[in-house]
Amino acid sequence: MMEDQEEKGNAENGIGRQKQVKDEYLLQFLDSLDGYLTLLDSLSSTLSQGWLELASARHAMGASRINGALLDLKVHAAATSLKVSEQDVDSMESQPCFTLCKWASSDNGERSSGEEKSLSPQLRHRNNSQLSGIISSPVSFSHFFNFFLSCEEEKVSTRTGTPLILVDQQRQKSLSVFGVLVSPKLRSAQLSFERALETLVEIANLHTTMLSMFEQVHKELENTNG
Amino acid sequence: MTFNIHGGYLEAIVRGYRAGLLTAADYNNLCQCETLDDIKMHLSATEYGPYLQNEPSPLHTTTIVEKCTLKLVDEYKHMLCQATEPLSTFLEYITYGHMIDNVVLIVTGTLHERDVQELLEKCHPLGMFDSIATLAVAQNMRELYRLVLVDTPLAPYFSECITSEDLDDMNIEIMRNTLYKAYLEDFYKFCQKLGGATAEIMSDLLAFEADRRAVNITINSIGTELTRDDRRKLYSNFGLLYPYGHEELAVCEDIDQVRGVMEKYPPYQSIFSKLSYGESQMLDKAFYEEEVKRLCLAFEQQFHYGVFFAYMRLREQEIRNLMWISECVAQNQKSRVHDSVVFIF
Repeated sequence: MMEDQEEKGNAENGIGRQKQVKDEYLLQFLDSLDGYLTLLDSLSSTLSQGWLELASARHAMGASRINGALLDLKVHAAATSLKVSEQDVDSMESQPCFTLCKWASSDNGERSSGEEKSLSPQLRHRNNSQLSGIISSPVSFSHFFNFFLSCEEEKVSTRTGTPLILVDQQRQKSLSVFGVLVSPKLRSAQLSFERALETLVEIANLHTTMLSMFEQVHKELENTNG
Repeated sequence: MTFNIHGGYLEAIVRGYRAGLLTAADYNNLCQCETLDDIKMHLSATEYGPYLQNEPSPLHTTTIVEKCTLKLVDEYKHMLCQATEPLSTFLEYITYGHMIDNVVLIVTGTLHERDVQELLEKCHPLGMFDSIATLAVAQNMRELYRLVLVDTPLAPYFSECITSEDLDDMNIEIMRNTLYKAYLEDFYKFCQKLGGATAEIMSDLLAFEADRRAVNITINSIGTELTRDDRRKLYSNFGLLYPYGHEELAVCEDIDQVRGVMEKYPPYQSIFSKLSYGESQMLDKAFYEEEVKRLCLAFEQQFHYGVFFAYMRLREQEIRNLMWISECVAQNQKSRVHDSVVFIF
């Protein structure tokens, strides 16, 4: 009788733990979904701001100074790249992790210093684990993202004798297709598109987390029903 | 007294053109449009109607700007073909700024390996000249001058920037600003030679243009590779800010220092008082508003050529307004439409 009661207790504990794990996955999924939707909204407003700032710069500088016909068609390395790696979440799964490497030219075979950001998703109130996996498809960029983030082979200015901060230098190089003396509105537009790119990468990472959580929840539901 | 013999007809024409500028009521209607087709519909009741009526939907903002510019070009050409000296030379001077912009556009685009035909389509029609396509073959400024520009009205302005250095982004920028500086100074001297009300009114308008350029060059060059000496060389040698204001602007490192310099000059105090500290977004609008005020005042006097310059500039401002309204409507940002619209009447 005592043994029956003990077995019954163990079974109840086991069911309780399973339920807890299921709730955990469900909450993580809902968290990631909430973050994903918030980031989508943020991306939309950042892009709107960027496009309006670009129109404002065109209004200030004139249509002949800011138009698509001035974009550089010469072959050159992109100053910003996306690194995709895979990491095992556990022994069963691997997921992609997107890392943005901003303003780091890959010319001359050397990587110069730039801002490297691992934009893994920030889940509220939950532990954030590294994701890894086989890459399914890269994030696609619009023509204007490519333009704003590409630059020629890196040159250090010697005109002033005062070295500029590398990142600011790379930003100026990107804008130099429109001329060296550009309006602050164009620089603002560049920063907005830069932010939008970071948000895109965050969205990509959060998307993979969301899918992973969804699969976990789905698996748990199947186990429960089975 | 003898102005009307040669200039009376065209002054009457330009005053008639001025009456066709869009009013505040027109702008209010345009600002409430939901789509670019609505804008086209409202503009069909104005003088732009015949230029837009055949444009198919969906419209693009660049199409609206292009067609409105065509109207300005037609009016300009009508006045130019009727004008005699010295008014014809005066009218030609008005277009040299656009010519400089077109030259820089072709040279920059060629440097970036763009197709010449594509670049020619983007050129401003008021700045076109016969050999403009040949600009694409020049490798440096010396060749630019020798092959193409020696036979254009811009030739005298090249004396200060002829070098054998290859054309790159910085050299092109310096060339642009040096040419424009030389053009403004030449235009100023020409107006002074004409004398009378033309000299008085145009001196004020061109001095304002020179001062505004100085401020824009200063602000746009903050944080760039342009040295203080190079910056100083790009300022025009006339204007309210010349020479002491230029000396102070040349060493400015941020917008607040620029404000500190400009607030010493009463005409510009009112412009900078509209801005909050550290902010430069509304500076362009403030300058445009001041410019429009001065251009409108030019029509208060008769028997001078300043009305032609004023009319061209007011139309260009109107086209800028239409461009901005179209962009706000197209991007669904109607709440921002009053950020950059400058009412003329």
